[in-house]
Amino acid sequence: MTSGEAAPELDPVIHAQARLRVMVTLSTLCEGDEIAFPSLKDLLGMTAGNLSVHLTKLEEAGYVRITKTHKGRTPVTYVSMTTRGRLALEDYTKAIRSLLDSAGGIP
Amino acid sequence: MTDDGERVASPEETLRLIETQRATAVRALHGDPLLLYTPWGVAWLLGFGALFLRYGLDGVPYAPISHGAALGVHLSLQVVAGAFAATGIVRMSSQVRGESSAKGMMYGYAWFVGMVLMSVICARFSSALDPLGAGLLWAGVSLLVVAVLYMAGGALFGQWPMFFMGVWVAAVNGLGVILGAGWHALLSAVLLGGGQIAAGILLRRRA
Repeated sequence: MTSGEAAPELDPVIHAQARLRVMVTLSTLCEGDEIAFPSLKDLLGMTAGNLSVHLTKLEEAGYVRITKTHKGRTPVTYVSMTTRGRLALEDYTKAIRSLLDSAGGIP
Repeated sequence: MTDDGERVASPEETLRLIETQRATAVRALHGDPLLLYTPWGVAWLLGFGALFLRYGLDGVPYAPISHGAALGVHLSLQVVAGAFAATGIVRMSSQVRGESSAKGMMYGYAWFVGMVLMSVICARFSSALDPLGAGLLWAGVSLLVVAVLYMAGGALFGQWPMFFMGVWVAAVNGLGVILGAGWHALLSAVLLGGGQIAAGILLRRRA
């Protein structure tokens, strides 16, 4: 893909369809809330393995927080978005918008 | 870059992906408007509709239903709608933990306490009133609780549609109480019942 000279840089961590969907979904949570891993998996229609891989990438970037805990004896994993993640998604969306504007403005 | 996540294509497609994913997530995590508003709409339309047929606009019933039957229809439909809403809320909150589930729980209890207190007040005073007056008291006070809690819910969850729904319920309720039991039932059935159904469908479309 060749992009224009002035094109803003797109965050490579987010610029992948699967991770973008994860980020957008987590961004709809209220601040201070966490979603259970199985719910997130069902909501996105991904396999557990696939989702884990993407979450690890996002966690490494500091965009999501993964909390492992127990409900009775069963282990439960919760996922939430960090402030850094929210900002990164905001920047990414802005960058995409400006790409779209410049594509529409200059023939 | 061809790592696992398969690269997203054009900016247009990316923006569309962001929007559709956001809508899907909001519907799953914050309630499907179709499920939250429409059951109440149907319950009000049929329930207040039954009361209206019993009361009539000038004191003469339009249909041969007893007062008890009309009230029974109205109340049981409310219970069904309440069960729908409660199931939806429980299903939503089981997926998420944190600050908002505590908020949701307090909000849920506020409904319960409000409705119990409403019943206590209305039961205490309705024996002193004629059937029409008593019916209007129950309907008016219960919609007062609904209106206030909708507005408060709008403030709590930052949802303007919910807040305006509360304002709408308050306005129709106030007007209906001034006009009398028959009008109150008619306006509630058409404007509130119909309004809730329309809002559910509209919000769902927009989401």
